[in-house]
Amino acid sequence: MVELRSTIYELLVKAEEAYGTQDAIRYKIREDGQSGKKETKVEAKTYTQLRQDSGHFSMALEKLGEQGRHIALVGATSYSWITGYYGIVNGGSVAVPLDANLPAEDLCELIDRADVTTLVYDESKANVALMAAEKCPKLVNIIAMDADTAVPNALSMWELIGDAPERTDYEPKPEDLATIMFTSGTTGKSKGVMLTHRNLAENATALDMGYAPGMVVMTVLPIHHAYCLSMDILKGTSIGAIICINDSLLRVAKNIKLFEPNMILMVPLMVETLAKKLEEASFIPAALVKAKVFGKQFHTVCSGGAYLNPAYIDLFKKYGITILQGYGMTECAPVISTNCNDAFKAGSIGKCMPNCEVKIVDEEIWVKGTSVMQGYYQMPEETAQTLEEGWLKTGDLGYIDEEGFLFLTGRKKNLIITPNGENVSPEEIENKLSANRLVQEVLVRDSEGVIEAEIFPDYEYAAKKKIKDLQAELQSIIDAYNKAAPLYKRVFKLKVRDVEFEKNTTKKIKRF
Amino acid sequence: MFEQLKDIIVNYVEVKKEDIRPESRFIEDLGFTSFDFMSMLGEIEDALDVEINQDEVVDIRTVQEAVDYLSTLV
Repeated sequence: MVELRSTIYELLVKAEEAYGTQDAIRYKIREDGQSGKKETKVEAKTYTQLRQDSGHFSMALEKLGEQGRHIALVGATSYSWITGYYGIVNGGSVAVPLDANLPAEDLCELIDRADVTTLVYDESKANVALMAAEKCPKLVNIIAMDADTAVPNALSMWELIGDAPERTDYEPKPEDLATIMFTSGTTGKSKGVMLTHRNLAENATALDMGYAPGMVVMTVLPIHHAYCLSMDILKGTSIGAIICINDSLLRVAKNIKLFEPNMILMVPLMVETLAKKLEEASFIPAALVKAKVFGKQFHTVCSGGAYLNPAYIDLFKKYGITILQGYGMTECAPVISTNCNDAFKAGSIGKCMPNCEVKIVDEEIWVKGTSVMQGYYQMPEETAQTLEEGWLKTGDLGYIDEEGFLFLTGRKKNLIITPNGENVSPEEIENKLSANRLVQEVLVRDSEGVIEAEIFPDYEYAAKKKIKDLQAELQSIIDAYNKAAPLYKRVFKLKVRDVEFEKNTTKKIKRF
Repeated sequence: MFEQLKDIIVNYVEVKKEDIRPESRFIEDLGFTSFDFMSMLGEIEDALDVEINQDEVVDIRTVQEAVDYLSTLV
């Protein structure tokens, strides 16, 4: 049974009290083996080590005069990153996790906009630290997660941790600001979402998904992303999970074999690739395929971040793997609803989290509750447009069925207004078209007054099925859809792509 | 290296070995998705016993570019 935690401090302290000597984080290291070659080994840190190391880092930041200030983290998922995050927020400062995939110029702009005074970076982002030292006038300290010497005057995180006593005399309050997270929206300027301890801690602990301590999760998504930080790291910590760090997207398959996870959080693009692997081996008994691809112990995929074709849920079920589709946004810390084993409906995005309520206003989903952000950092106009009397206007369109399951139908800002004033949600059409296996990616939009579908077909599948005239085959999919659709929702133009759509760092198609 | 790479490529996409040319583009010509491509590089690490840096491979488009890059590692 998971209890509600209202600060990230409480979440970590209680987890340490319950699971102290158990591994909290496992990760790979490369070191010289006996043969002289580099060998991969797994190293682990316990819950007690995590609490202590982060407590020392809190104190180190206080000694630098950084308590209450904004501290950015940039780098790949690592024990240092996680220690840094807990150290920052639990010591009363505000963490600003940044997207390590963004260009250095963009990161410097975000560092400046978020009034960051200390930057914590990993070795691969030394170029960002160098540029920020020059271009960000508010920046006072630069801290290296690794023993990096490329940046002059950078402090060493682990020396700071070694030199400082553990901070034990301070406890943040639930309403204290903990994190500013930049949205990776597919359109417009990214906004700094202000989330308090309560927002994040209650979102991570409000729903008991029935997971037992010691469950092994492997974290593959970028850690600056709210879904990964909240579900993998914060929720993982609160339930006493063993969190294994996937060091690179190159090595997901290999790391599954190494860490033997029970659960992985994914975005739909990853689910689709793994589905292909399963399908390729469809002539081999399901249990064998599952053991080879995921290991026998694997049982759950949590999917979020974009629409997932429900056909994949059935496909994975054949292999004894449950896909739990959820829904959320950074502004809601981030989970709004999710399917779980006790309450599951294919095609829906699950029931609303217990700490929130949902209502539908003109088809738009509005959310109220302890997960809802405080606003956008220094963007009062955008905040006023998004929050109304405590309700967060998600911009997503959907409905709730009689059993309380939430369904998404589209995105308000993507709505196509047809020449005769009808509203058409492109996502609704995209989801219908992409139900066909030949359609790998599709974007529906308005094109000179008519609805156009641009499709990136699954060329491999087409070859396998010996489809010669791809254009005609895709047109027949559209014709079949059109037959069942009302006139104003029909697709009148087809464009076939030979390359994938451009995606943002969370693998969503860039719409504009 | 080119021959070795062709052996690995045919495990990922439906293409005949003899149809893979140095100038073939992974995504446009051979039908890779970005995630397939990443997964294949992970397998190459094992097959060639090398370590690939994710940041260094983002610009690789063609088979020849991959061969050139991998040759610098072994």
